[in-house]
Amino acid sequence: MVLTDAVRMSEVGQSRRRLLGAGLALTSLGGCGLFSHDPDPPTPVDALQPVLDEALALAIAYDRAILSLPAVADRLSPLAADHRAHAAELVTLIGRTSPTSAAASGPALTTPSAGASADEVIAGFRTAEQSALKTAVAACKATTAVRAGSVGSIAACRATHVEALR
Amino acid sequence: MSEQFAAALAAEEAAIYAYGLLGVKLTARAEVTAARAAELEHRERRDWLINKIAELGSSSGPTPAGYTLPFPVIDRDSALDLAIKIEDGVAQAWRPVLGVTADDDRTTALAALTDAAVRAVRWRRLNAVTPLTMAFPGRAG
Repeated sequence: MVLTDAVRMSEVGQSRRRLLGAGLALTSLGGCGLFSHDPDPPTPVDALQPVLDEALALAIAYDRAILSLPAVADRLSPLAADHRAHAAELVTLIGRTSPTSAAASGPALTTPSAGASADEVIAGFRTAEQSALKTAVAACKATTAVRAGSVGSIAACRATHVEALR
Repeated sequence: MSEQFAAALAAEEAAIYAYGLLGVKLTARAEVTAARAAELEHRERRDWLINKIAELGSSSGPTPAGYTLPFPVIDRDSALDLAIKIEDGVAQAWRPVLGVTADDDRTTALAALTDAAVRAVRWRRLNAVTPLTMAFPGRAG
């Protein structure tokens, strides 16, 4: 069979010395970085990534608050659901799953401390929503025509959260 | 662009008409004040749109003499329901404007969408409608 035939050096026009020389040359080129395995340059962060990070961080924070303060569940659960819907929409718009950790890059939310009252927790979320609103408004102003509708709705929703937390 | 502006204008004119009608069914001072403030804001948005449409060289068309209401407005509750429906409709009309505008005009469109969505939340709260919010104000369906 063809696949088991020995390939003689003379048939491919190569001598052992030339092959060794080529290997040496490759090693040298590798040493200068031409063939090295440097990591690819990082993919530019999408302009909507901060909006996505905030949506994920807020959804997580609401879920935690609901667990620690069940009395506010009825009030906060719909807001958490809104943020999860935003995250799904933003992942679609960005076109890939988020490479960043929401906990690491999201807004600096004050985790409800043990013993915090419902009023204190809600006030903290209101502040966080106001901050997130600013991010979404800036993103809507700067984004493309195709994305403007979705990002505008997300900004408007965050404004309604501020109102709902009054 | 003029098509989106015209749709937003139609929604604002309908809102002005609706607030004139539903306002008389509200009795609490805070509710009456909120309805008057909303109507004024819709008048300002309408005027802005008329100017924009004129800048584009288009005609804004005549304002309808009246509208068919989606349900009878017979009392406070139905008046508040109409206010919710009107604001949701205004938000839906402004959202497409975002995609055909930039800079200051987009800022105005976003403010109009946001203000309508926030007013809808206030009317829902007054009429004990839950949930107060929706994930995508202005998105139809």
